[in-house]
Amino acid sequence: MTKPYLQISNKLKTDREKLIASIDRLPVIDFLQSHSLILDSYFQQSFEESMVGPRIGLNKNPYAIIALGGYGREEQCVHSDVDILFLFKKHIPDEAVSLIQEIIYPLWDLGLQVGYATRTLSECIGLARKDYEILTPLLDARFICGMSLLFSELMTATREKILRKMSKKVVAWLVRTNAERHQHFGDSTYLLEPNLKEGQGGLRDYHTMLWIGRIKMNIRQARDLEYFGYLSHDEYLTVTEALSFIWNVRNRLHLQAGRKIDQLYFENQIKLAQSLNFKSTNGLQPVEKFLGTLHSKMDFMKQQHLMFLREHALTRKPRYKIKSKKNPGIESIRTKGDTLEFSSSEAILQQPGLLINIFEESTRMSLPLSAEAKRMVSEFSYLVNNRFRSSETVVESFETVLKEPAPTFNVLREMLNTGFLVKLIPEMKGIANRIQYDEYHLYPVDKHLLRTVQALKRFNSDLDESGCSLCGKIWKGLKNRKLLLWAALLHDIGKGELGKDHSSAGAVITRRILKRFGYQPKDIDTVAFLVQEHLLLVKIATRRDIHDEETAIHCARIIKKISRLQMLYLLTVADCVSTGPNAWNEWTATLLRDFFLKIANVLTKGELATQRAVKASEHKKEIVLASATSKAGKEELEKLYHYMSPRYLLYTPDEEILTDIELYRKLGDRSFVWDISRNRMVDSRTVRICAQDRPGLFSQIAGSFTLNNLDILNAQIFTWRNNLALDIFYVKPPPDKLFEKEHWERAERDFQKALAGDLDLSAKLAEKIKTRRTISPKVSKVPHRIVVDNHSSSFFTIIEVFTYDFPGLLFTVTDALYRAGLDIWVAKISTKVDQVVDVFYVRDFDGQKVDSEEQADAIKAAIDARLPKIV
Amino acid sequence: MKKIEAIIKPFKLDDVKEALNEIGIQGMTISEVKGYGRQKGHKEIYRGAEYVVDFIPKIKIEIVVSSEQADAVVEKIRDAANTGKIGDGKIFIFAVEEAIRVRTGEKGTDAI
Repeated sequence: MTKPYLQISNKLKTDREKLIASIDRLPVIDFLQSHSLILDSYFQQSFEESMVGPRIGLNKNPYAIIALGGYGREEQCVHSDVDILFLFKKHIPDEAVSLIQEIIYPLWDLGLQVGYATRTLSECIGLARKDYEILTPLLDARFICGMSLLFSELMTATREKILRKMSKKVVAWLVRTNAERHQHFGDSTYLLEPNLKEGQGGLRDYHTMLWIGRIKMNIRQARDLEYFGYLSHDEYLTVTEALSFIWNVRNRLHLQAGRKIDQLYFENQIKLAQSLNFKSTNGLQPVEKFLGTLHSKMDFMKQQHLMFLREHALTRKPRYKIKSKKNPGIESIRTKGDTLEFSSSEAILQQPGLLINIFEESTRMSLPLSAEAKRMVSEFSYLVNNRFRSSETVVESFETVLKEPAPTFNVLREMLNTGFLVKLIPEMKGIANRIQYDEYHLYPVDKHLLRTVQALKRFNSDLDESGCSLCGKIWKGLKNRKLLLWAALLHDIGKGELGKDHSSAGAVITRRILKRFGYQPKDIDTVAFLVQEHLLLVKIATRRDIHDEETAIHCARIIKKISRLQMLYLLTVADCVSTGPNAWNEWTATLLRDFFLKIANVLTKGELATQRAVKASEHKKEIVLASATSKAGKEELEKLYHYMSPRYLLYTPDEEILTDIELYRKLGDRSFVWDISRNRMVDSRTVRICAQDRPGLFSQIAGSFTLNNLDILNAQIFTWRNNLALDIFYVKPPPDKLFEKEHWERAERDFQKALAGDLDLSAKLAEKIKTRRTISPKVSKVPHRIVVDNHSSSFFTIIEVFTYDFPGLLFTVTDALYRAGLDIWVAKISTKVDQVVDVFYVRDFDGQKVDSEEQADAIKAAIDARLPKIV
Repeated sequence: MKKIEAIIKPFKLDDVKEALNEIGIQGMTISEVKGYGRQKGHKEIYRGAEYVVDFIPKIKIEIVVSSEQADAVVEKIRDAANTGKIGDGKIFIFAVEEAIRVRTGEKGTDAI
């Protein structure tokens, strides 16, 4: 490289370094412009010092060096491409190659990304006419050095030969490619790793607006967008602000990555937030604030771009159909083409209600607001005050919008975008564009809330993304959808209150909001409940054993009503679907659905989730804990209390629980202990047996009693969670009262032997019954009935045996169950005169229900075979 | 080296992770899987319609450790995942021929 060139390129190098060092002092717009100027001066000096240049002869074959694209617009970020056109008037001389070597190579040596083209004027126009990818950089062309007249000629030719003739086609192409780009790069306002340039809301949206302005109105500067009425003054200012922010991010991203990069990856975000000077406040990480700001800026750009296209009728034909040509039902709102607008701004001042009316009409007529109408909503939303919010008609209008069935365009979103929703529900301000910095939440909170509402409304429709047909069914049958929709809209509103549990905080805020809107206390309770508990199902389903009945009972007791459960389930699914792909898949869907069904079963069939059951278990906890004499004792009792099953707590009287605790303490290593008490009123005994549970335990006790002439009147079985069986028998004392004690002792010995396997109870009993008596001829001839019920409980197979009493009945039936491989968890035995109803909650030895038809039939047959035949 | 593959109940994942942390196991791969073994699927009735869960949601954990560590890992998983009820899962142990860290090319136990 010759000396002057070395100097020039060194100067470029040091100038750029100086500029980069000033990144924190210089407003980004100045930075980008200065960067372009530094490059300009490099080209100008190289042009002047060129050895090859003079040989080409500027006069014979004029040429010019022209900046294109971003460089042409003077938006040169640290590592942006440098796009250059060497334009020749007539032909490309042989020396062009050396010219490029002279000028471009040093730039490559400096590590700059240079794209250059060498073309003649006519080539340029010819190519641009055919390929619009070549045309668009020309729209931003800027003269750097050489023959300036040639540049003017290029501009004139572009205008006359291309734009004038096919402006419509070019614009349509621009709009289409930009839409395709959005498809490919996604909506930056939602994405956690947004693309600053190509995504929706990215810089390309701005470029597209600018290019369309250039094509249609020949505007030169961005400022002209306002001048020609494309943007209002305020909008122009906000666009500039948004642009500066995005440029600043992009510029620093380039610097950080050391290369040209437009996608904002996770790995860069934290450092960028730092370098942009975001500070952590109120528990919000700097990076969360950074992304929140970025999303809101890009969202504004996206909205502006959409509005721009819409205003210039550049969007594709709307997909929705105009329902009727009818005019809106409100005087001051009228249609304009396919949109709705206010008749005048004075009307809004006189009648602020129009601000919500227009959204209601938009819902009713399926027509969007015109860009101007949206502007007016934004500008006049200061009229929304507490009186406005508590007006009955406003609430009704809002409900209409909220309930609008799965729409093709989303009126709520328009409400959010115009800022009206935040005015209507000021509590939403805290969550607007709030980002949660993890890989789980794909969307800012406010967008997520709207998506959740949308997901609900899509249940039972073609648009449903949950893949859950049960949800559609429930949604279809749901009576009070309004409340559920409110809950969906507000469920994460507590995320604005930092440092608190967002569910509880959200429930408090929800109450405040709905009270202001004038809702009934009962309805407010329901919505607040849903907000409070919106994570309950997911949390429990993933963190607890849903195949344990108590998990379902625990939830059922919190939820209380089946209608609430239905709403909570739908909210849970909609919430997951709207969070992001990591929160919803078929696996989670299966788990949640199964859990929902189990709780539903407890709520509809069981007595265990009732108010009474909840109160009983609370009361019994007090009783149990009150019996403690020391602190250690209290801890032990608390543990024991948690072992007690819900059924046990519901049905066992206070003092008996205390007896059972005593028994449990006595049990130690023994195989069983029992306690016999006399009942005063009737001549009977209660035997409470406490033992380590094992299959067949119950039948062995029953057998031992029968063998010793102790008639069983009634019996109950409970099983504690620590696998402790508590069997309670009500027994008729032996006729021979003098030797009662001996009877019990014999029974105890027999039971012990049976447990040890040293006594064949069924053989003994068969023998005994044969010698004693045959079946009484008095017994009714109603046949036995055995019912196997697998519907009423998700956790047990329930077997009901209707029969008449005969000696050894209980042993016979329970022994049959044992031999059929069933374990009895709960039993209720009752005898009325000679009619017996025995109910058993059973599972197989693995702890599973026996729910195939064959198994059920086999059980029935097994019991039936052991019952005496009716003669 | 051994690869240990464990199928466990979903709600036991945190316990297992914690238990493995205690013996210095830092990495694992987990996936949400569905299947059945002795714990069969089941059906639920809701409003007269039957909903069948034939494959039960489970979590699969995969860990590769040195052969000496394998027993300790298996024991930890078994302890932490055990509820005593059906469906607690299974643990499989495979011999691993070689392991290579993609970034550095390190091999064998250095790579795990």
